[in-house]
Amino acid sequence: MSENNRETVIEVRDLVRKFGSRTVLNGISFTVERGDTMIIMGGSGCGKSTLLRHIIGSLRPTSGSIKIFGEETTTMSEEQMEKLRLRFGMNFQFGALLQSLTVGENVALPLIENSKVDPAIVDLVVKMKLELVGLTGFENLKPAEISGGMRKRVGLARAVALDPELLFSDEPTSGLDPIMTAVIDQLTMDLTQKLHMTAVVVTHDMASAFRIGTKMIVLGAGKRAGTIIAHGTPDDIKNSPDPEVQQFIRGEPDGPVPLKLAPEDYIDRLLGHDRDKGVSY
Amino acid sequence: MVALRQFLTLNAQILYWTFVAPFAGKPTVRIDAIFQQMVRIGVQAVPMAALTSLSIGLTLAMQGSHELARMGATSYVPDLLSITLLRELAPLLTGVVVIGRSGSAITAELGTMKVSEEIEALEVMSINPIRFLVAPRVIAMIIMLPCLVVFSNYIGFVGGWLICNFALDINTTAYIMRLVESADMMDLISGMTKSFVFGWLISVISCQSGLGVTGGAEGVGRSTTKSVVLCILVMLVVNAILTGMFFIIEGPKG
Repeated sequence: MSENNRETVIEVRDLVRKFGSRTVLNGISFTVERGDTMIIMGGSGCGKSTLLRHIIGSLRPTSGSIKIFGEETTTMSEEQMEKLRLRFGMNFQFGALLQSLTVGENVALPLIENSKVDPAIVDLVVKMKLELVGLTGFENLKPAEISGGMRKRVGLARAVALDPELLFSDEPTSGLDPIMTAVIDQLTMDLTQKLHMTAVVVTHDMASAFRIGTKMIVLGAGKRAGTIIAHGTPDDIKNSPDPEVQQFIRGEPDGPVPLKLAPEDYIDRLLGHDRDKGVSY
Repeated sequence: MVALRQFLTLNAQILYWTFVAPFAGKPTVRIDAIFQQMVRIGVQAVPMAALTSLSIGLTLAMQGSHELARMGATSYVPDLLSITLLRELAPLLTGVVVIGRSGSAITAELGTMKVSEEIEALEVMSINPIRFLVAPRVIAMIIMLPCLVVFSNYIGFVGGWLICNFALDINTTAYIMRLVESADMMDLISGMTKSFVFGWLISVISCQSGLGVTGGAEGVGRSTTKSVVLCILVMLVVNAILTGMFFIIEGPKG
C-alpha cells in the first residue's frame, strides 16, 4: 500500500496548549493514515496523555488545528463532537469503568445508549468482546471485584464494543503480565490489519511499541518538552541520531535527559546556602 | 459569579435533556435510572425523615402547650402544629435530612466518577453525563422531596397527637378536627412549593459540586463539605424569601 493514496484520519497542525504560564504542548504536528498504528512515546509528564485528550476533544487547544476524518474538531460544537465520537473508541489508562455497573453492563453501555439494538444481540456482542480480551465469564462481577489489569482489558472491550474506526489507547499494557501484553498487542494488530481500524497508542513499553507500531512520534523532555523530537516508522526511530531518543528507547538512566531535574546544584539545595560564600561547615 | 453561571448552564442543560431532547429524536433520560434514584433519595430516607418529624412534632406540642397554658389556650396546640409543620418545619427539616443523606452522596459519587475519569469516559462514548447522571438525580429529587414532606407532615402530626392525647386532654377527634379547621389550602401550597424549590436547588447544587471536583480523593471530600454547607445556606435563605413572598401574596393573617 503506498503512503499517498491512504486516507488521512487524524491531522494535527501546530498544536499548542498552555496551562497558565506552562506550555505543555508546543507546536505538535503529525498525521495518521487509515490502518496505521501510531505510537506516542515520551517520558512521564511530557504531555502524552494531554495530547491524547486534545485529539479526543476532552480538552481544547490554546492554538493550532486538529482534523479527524477531515473535520476540524477544535472549533466543533459539543453536539457535532458527540456524533464524531461515535466513530471512536477510547481505552483509558485505568479502565475508567463505571463502578456502579457490572463488567457486562459496562461493555454493553455504548451499545445500549447509542444504538437501538435488541437486548439479545447486545448480550451476544458483550460475550464476544469479553472473549476477545480473555475475560469470558466475568460479566456479572463489579469492577471493584476484579484486578487492575482485568479492568484495563474490560476498558478495551468497551472501547471496541461499537467496532470503532479509530481506537485510542492510553498505556494499554502497563501493569499486565507478558502473556496478556502479547494478547493485547495481537488484538490491536488484528484490529488494524484485518478491519483497517486506525489506532493511536500511548505507551512506555518499548517491546510492545515496536511490535505493534507502524508509525511513531517521540515527545521530548527538559528544554524540548512539548515538542516532537523524532517522527517516523519504527526503523526511523531505532536509527534516530538523536541521543535523547536513543536514551529513551534503550532505557538508560543518564544521558541527554539528566537524572536530576533541578537546575541548581544538589549540595546547595540540600544545605540551603551558597558554598562560595565561605560558610564553614 | 462563575459558579452562578455554571448553575444556570447546568439548569438549562437539564431542562434540555428532560423536555426538548425527547422531541428532537435524541436519546432520553432513562426511566429506570430515575426510579433507581427515587428509591435511593426518597424511599430509603423514610425512616430518617419519620424520626426527625416525629421528634419535631413532639417537641413543638410540648413547648407550645407550655406557653399556651399560661393563657389557658392549650386547645390551640393543634393550630400551632399545623401551621408550623405545614409551612416551615416539615419542608426545612426534610430538606436537611435529604441534604445530609442524598445531597452529600450525590456530590461524593459524581466527584469520585470525575476523579477516576468515568465522566470523561462517558463523554468519549458519546453519552452525555448530564443526561445519563445528572438529570435522573435531579428529577428524582424534585419528585421525592415533596413526597417526603407530605409524609413528614403526617408523622409530625402523629407526634403532636401523642402529646395532645396523652398529656393535654385533647382527644383524637378534637385533635383532628382542630387540625383540619386551622389548616387552610394556602398552608399546604406554601409548604409544597418550598419542597419543590428545595428539591431542585439541593439536587442541582450537589450535582454541580460533584462535577466540579478537582484534585483526587481530597478534592472529593472538600467538594462534599462545601456542597452540604452551600445547600443548607441556600435552602435557609430561599426559605426566608419564599415565606416573604407568601406573606406579601396573602397579607397578614386575620
